[in-house]
Amino acid sequence: MGTPCHFALFDLQPGFCLDLDKLATRYRELAREVHPDRFADASEREQRVALEKSAALNDAYQTLRSAPRRARYLLAIGGHEVPQEVTVHDPDFLLQQMQWREELEDLQDETDLDGVAVFKKRLKAAQDTLNDDFASCWDNPAEREQAERLMRRMQFLDKLAQEVRQLEERLDD
Amino acid sequence: MALLQIAEPGQTPQPHQRRLAVGIDLGTTNSLVAAVRSGRSEPLPDADGNVILPSAVRYLDAGIEVGLAARIAAPSDPLNTILSVKRLMGRGLADVKQLGEQLPYRFVGGESHMPFITTVQGAKSPVEVSADILKVLRQRAEETLGGELVGAVITVPAYFDDAQRQATKDAARLAGLNVLRLLNEPTAAAVAYGLDQNAEGVVAIFDLGGGTFDISILRLTAGVFEVLATGGDTALGGDDFDHAVAGWIIEQAGLSADLDPATQRLLLQTACAAKQALTDSDTVTVRHGAWQGELSRATFETMIEPMIARSLKACRRAVRDSGVELDEVGAVVMVGGSTRVPRVREAVGTLFGRAPLTSIDPDQVVAIGAAIQADTLAGNRREGGELLLLDVIPLSLGLETMGGLMEKVIPRNTTIPVARAQEFTTYKDGQSAMMIHVLQGERELISDCRSLARFELRGIPAMVAGAAKIRVTFQVDADGLLSVAARELGSGVESSIQVKPSYGLTDGEIARMLKDSFEHASTDKTARQLREHQVDAERLLEAVQGALDADGERLLSTDERDAIAFQMQELRDLLTGTDGPAIEQQTRRLSQVTDAFAARRLDSTVKAALAGRNLNEIEE
Repeated sequence: MGTPCHFALFDLQPGFCLDLDKLATRYRELAREVHPDRFADASEREQRVALEKSAALNDAYQTLRSAPRRARYLLAIGGHEVPQEVTVHDPDFLLQQMQWREELEDLQDETDLDGVAVFKKRLKAAQDTLNDDFASCWDNPAEREQAERLMRRMQFLDKLAQEVRQLEERLDD
Repeated sequence: MALLQIAEPGQTPQPHQRRLAVGIDLGTTNSLVAAVRSGRSEPLPDADGNVILPSAVRYLDAGIEVGLAARIAAPSDPLNTILSVKRLMGRGLADVKQLGEQLPYRFVGGESHMPFITTVQGAKSPVEVSADILKVLRQRAEETLGGELVGAVITVPAYFDDAQRQATKDAARLAGLNVLRLLNEPTAAAVAYGLDQNAEGVVAIFDLGGGTFDISILRLTAGVFEVLATGGDTALGGDDFDHAVAGWIIEQAGLSADLDPATQRLLLQTACAAKQALTDSDTVTVRHGAWQGELSRATFETMIEPMIARSLKACRRAVRDSGVELDEVGAVVMVGGSTRVPRVREAVGTLFGRAPLTSIDPDQVVAIGAAIQADTLAGNRREGGELLLLDVIPLSLGLETMGGLMEKVIPRNTTIPVARAQEFTTYKDGQSAMMIHVLQGERELISDCRSLARFELRGIPAMVAGAAKIRVTFQVDADGLLSVAARELGSGVESSIQVKPSYGLTDGEIARMLKDSFEHASTDKTARQLREHQVDAERLLEAVQGALDADGERLLSTDERDAIAFQMQELRDLLTGTDGPAIEQQTRRLSQVTDAFAARRLDSTVKAALAGRNLNEIEE
């Protein structure tokens, strides 16, 4: 791989469990060193390098601090790139997804803001459980398939969380 | 131009070599310049002791007036006095038409779709008008500080898109300023407060200026300002309060809504004064001509309530975008003269559940913060450690894909600088070129987004459909300006563009303006005016000829074409002589006969854009 590993950039061993506060602190320290503002007077070449480094740092930070993106990245550096679009065979989860979407539609029809708050809490709990499950299996080659499935579930819930936010926005109108 | 000193990053020149840098708040209504002197950041006053320079420019037969004199003259000379030019920065003719009903100017199209305002000194672009304001501030700073400036930090609303940022940078260039950084206004305000009070935690910056509204959510940690989210409305501000009050006067006084420009101006000044008086009084007597009426604060508050509601909605959205809860916001900073309106303070306080901070003058806080950042960027050591600002892009950036849809490549509120790549492929066998259409906005349909640039990747080797791999890379620098590159991975064919938005100035226009500005300095007045008239005439001839070549057959009747051709020939004949006023008059005549043509072309361009072009559509 031509680009340095995101984890190495932060002096971390690849792993799913991360102290996000520590990650943020380290990010700010590194950003201080490479941000183009520090090179406002330097040569054009140095400015370009600072821009590239700074962009790479931002990319690494954004990847690591989001659980689904971190999970996908871990699986990718662990061997196989996980294709972005595939047909998913996870019928139980799909069923649950559909139920959640329906609930969300009902909340929209009833413009039920309190209901949305409760829904958000449940979603958060489900995300936490998924994160724990993934943390316990991702580095076991025998459970690779399970890890991929969990990662996809994380992505689904992430999307659902975004939809909840859009719903909140619509209800705000 | 001063020679730039090169210092190693982090190294500081000796104190006696202190490098002069300023922060400039180029505002809709007022502009300020500030600098750090003896460790304190403060606005620099003019010879009369005023720190505020009204953002008003008046073009006279001989010379230019900037500031208060221009503002006072606005009602009597509305066509040659430009106010609130910031609202026009980076806007196209179509945008301006939308604002048009509120603006008394006469617009003509430039070669780059940028609106030019017709004045007694010829057509002026919003960039030139802004540059004239910046020149005055630059001169003030150089006289006060006693030396040439290394550079300036210029503030822009966080919500400014790429076109508006580029236009601001162009204006600075034209004014002979080296831009160290474009800084978001709310971030600048946070810098001013952060240093004074050593705040940590989540801060909301509520910035309601003359013409724009911005809300930013920032996290402050150990000298690092991290912008978590920004939002706002580029067409909401104190001017709208004035328009509301003016509307009330028109209604109460039973005036016809169709007023001449001078009366409009006068009415707006009366309205603005009434608004300001209501900050301290419960009621104010308003006079317009023979009419007189009482405006109560309660009535005023009812009028502006919809605008306040719009601003609060944007606040809630920004808070959601930032991933924090409303009660996590530990401080609310007020920026912009319109935050003096008591109802605004009250509504913001209620939303965030705490009284907003107002200890620094809301008109000066942005310039004060910008000066602090300028001082740091110029390499001067700062007490209390270095300061770092991590900004975000305000609007998503993406590409047009099949079916006229916008595919986001970098979502809004991503920390900058940022680089991101996306891969595309060809859709036809043997396809040798691909159109890259760069867009900015949040909507799905490209017709709802702003088109920033189009360019073509050519020379793709013949392959079956889907075999070519084209990687498009977006890079946004620390100023929030975008460049895009496309590369076919197999062959290494590449093409790139520094996004010059379609509403910015063309390089030719900038070069000419820079050249003009040098020429103006060295020649006497008559010669200068003649030159201006000639340039204007040439510019118009060139633009009309280009338009005729492109769309003359399609959009004009034979009679219309003949009429235009006749006026063009008249102008060409005059250009061989040196009669400045005659050239100017004929230029105006030509511009008048081509106005309808320009409007028709614009409509047809918009229609073509709406019809949409696919990323994969172009073939050789």
